[in-house]
Amino acid sequence: MKLTIHEIAQSLYLPLGTVRRWIRQGRIPIHKNGSDFVFNEAILSKWASAHNLAFAPPKKGPEKQQDPELENLFSAIKRGGVFYDVKGDDVASTLKVAVENINVLNNHSKENLYQRLLERENLTSTGIGKGVAIPHPRSFLSDADYRPFITTCFLEKPIEFAALDNKPVFVMFILLCPSVKSHLHLLSRLAFCIRDDSFVDFLKTFPSSDKLLLKIADFEEQLDRTDQY
Amino acid sequence: MRIFKSWRYPASWKFFRLDDRLLLMLMAVIVGLCSGLAALALNRSLIAMFDWVHQYHHIWWSFVLPAIGAALSSLFLEKIVVEGAGHGVPEVIYSVSRYGGLLRFRSSYSRLISSCLTIGSGGSAGPEAPVVMSGAAIGSNIAKYFSLNDRQRVTLVGCGAAGAISSIFNAPIAGMVFSIEVILGEWKSVNIIPIAIASVAGAEISRILQGNQIIFSHLQFNINLLDIFSCLGLAILTAVASIMLTRMLRSMYGISNKISAPIWVRAAAGGCAVGIIGLFLPVVLGEGYHAVQTMIGGTFSQGLALVALASLAKIVATSLTLGWGGSGGIFAPCLVIGSLVGLTYHQCLILFWPSISWVNEGYFALLGMAGLISGMLQAPLTGIFLIVEITGGYEVILPLIIVSAISTSLCHYIEPASFYLKELVERGHLLRPGTDARVLSDLDVREVIEENCITLKQNMLLRDFINIIKISPRNYFPVEDEKTDNFLGIIHLDDIRPYLFNPDMYDVVILGQIMDTQVDVVHPDDDLSEVLRKMDTHHLFSMPVVSNNKFIGLISKASILDQYRKELVVQTSQ
Repeated sequence: MKLTIHEIAQSLYLPLGTVRRWIRQGRIPIHKNGSDFVFNEAILSKWASAHNLAFAPPKKGPEKQQDPELENLFSAIKRGGVFYDVKGDDVASTLKVAVENINVLNNHSKENLYQRLLERENLTSTGIGKGVAIPHPRSFLSDADYRPFITTCFLEKPIEFAALDNKPVFVMFILLCPSVKSHLHLLSRLAFCIRDDSFVDFLKTFPSSDKLLLKIADFEEQLDRTDQY
Repeated sequence: MRIFKSWRYPASWKFFRLDDRLLLMLMAVIVGLCSGLAALALNRSLIAMFDWVHQYHHIWWSFVLPAIGAALSSLFLEKIVVEGAGHGVPEVIYSVSRYGGLLRFRSSYSRLISSCLTIGSGGSAGPEAPVVMSGAAIGSNIAKYFSLNDRQRVTLVGCGAAGAISSIFNAPIAGMVFSIEVILGEWKSVNIIPIAIASVAGAEISRILQGNQIIFSHLQFNINLLDIFSCLGLAILTAVASIMLTRMLRSMYGISNKISAPIWVRAAAGGCAVGIIGLFLPVVLGEGYHAVQTMIGGTFSQGLALVALASLAKIVATSLTLGWGGSGGIFAPCLVIGSLVGLTYHQCLILFWPSISWVNEGYFALLGMAGLISGMLQAPLTGIFLIVEITGGYEVILPLIIVSAISTSLCHYIEPASFYLKELVERGHLLRPGTDARVLSDLDVREVIEENCITLKQNMLLRDFINIIKISPRNYFPVEDEKTDNFLGIIHLDDIRPYLFNPDMYDVVILGQIMDTQVDVVHPDDDLSEVLRKMDTHHLFSMPVVSNNKFIGLISKASILDQYRKELVVQTSQ
């Protein structure tokens, strides 16, 4: 098998200089033939594992897929759906109704999610003020295969949520993510929007889902601008 | 046709590519034969030269002969082949550990000629170190010719040294042990087998051309228990003699270096002094194998005072020859001094306990040689096997081991580095395989550098820096000048952490104000052990690498450890 020395160094996860030196010193079973580096893949791979080194030769064909990009609020909210006039008198009943609405999950997962949301609310309230709550489980669900989503629930009547500023909550964003990274990513973006009073005022008008998504896209554009420097 | 073209690249033949052991064995035979021949050539020309010079020995000015020889030899080394004086073994050891055994082609004959001049004219030195050097150079150049890699070349250098020693002493095991114990310092079967083969090849060529003779044949000894106990005293005496010789050599070297005369004048002065000593005690002249033979045979009939004086004189003469610029090794002088010390000890025993019937004096001469070789080289196995083989005296193996072991241990206690290694240890050049120093010397700063760093500009605001911190996984940020891109200093996140959360400062602080300019930097060509020492003394975890005032990357203990471990694993498991 013939590879350039750069490819060899990459597949062994070693600096180029080290591989060059090892070949010169005869420490690695690679033979230099003119400008080519010749080796037997099986022997090299055996050698690498005997010496506690990783060896992953470049694959022929399509590249392995990269980690999916972190999703934005826009697609997460779109996936989760927007619901209006969610009924309920207290936190538990409201959450129960809200979770029933989530059509991304099956019944078993819904029950599971509901238990976890309650558990999380019992620790501290997710009502972050200004009448907004972001219920989310403490750890992500393990039994369901899903992509991050945010389900927006406008409540029929504001309920007492033991929020930070003690204001009754009129809208909930139920946030569910498969990884800590995407959870933090979405949470911080959502918090950025809610920090802006005009956004909260906008929410109080119970906008239609299209309008809401437009507004979100608008805010995300702002966010992306400030992130670049 | 392709085979014909590629005969110089045997390592690329498919047959040898998977496992080079066969190739190395084949090469070992060639190297062993060549270095054996080189050793024989020196041996023969020494004999011829000694005979030729001998006819002038009765003339009153014969004492200047060693001076002429030493001067010519140092002129030859300095002006014609441009190589350093000395016996060359440290150079071989250093080359093996640092440059994969690369030696110049001229080294394969330079020491032969210069030592032939020195020793043949009567200088007190040995031909062994020169043949080791030349055998090693032959091995190295054969490896170079066939484009072998460093590891294979090092093995062939060992093969050359082994072949030379085996050939000159007709002692294959001693050659092999010497090469592994002293030259390579690594007992591994990949080395041992080719070196053993080269030893046999070297010894065989010597047997074909010179006949299978034991150099110092001796009488049968009847050794009783008392004789074995008596060797304890001899061991101490040989250790003392070894230390004396080592110290004397070094002090002579120091004295000679203080004199501002050209090196050949100094060599001539040393040779002259040896010649004068030789007028009164001819035993000190030359390599002295003849004297050793008479002592082992038990026919060296001199009194106690004279023998003791001769041992001291030989030590002085050897120091004068080698310390003042002559060329040659210490093997042969060690054998002579050792047997003289052995005889002195024997005479002392007779003096103090005349009633006991001691074994033949040859026994003590033999043990004395082993004691001195082991003490000087601090290589007990070499001492034991060499004496066993050159004397054919297996019956003395037990006292031989005792003397070798005690002498080595005592010498090691007083002089931690042996004669061959002392220079290297002092310069920090002793890099035995698998040691920390060796791993660090093989690793390069460039191999442990982390280059994916975000560099900052001097006039950047703290606010912009905050955004960079968001996306960078690092704690260290190098700062550069806007215009010249020169490295100015570094910002360590730990130092500014409290201010990071104070938004009031975001627009008032520029990075030029908060960076650390008094920072230790590393150059890409720096020695890694030096870098680590700097890190340890200043309690640093990470250092910037700067070349030509430009920042190149960061070097951190974590990345060094990662690479160090890989290197150690690869170096030690072959």
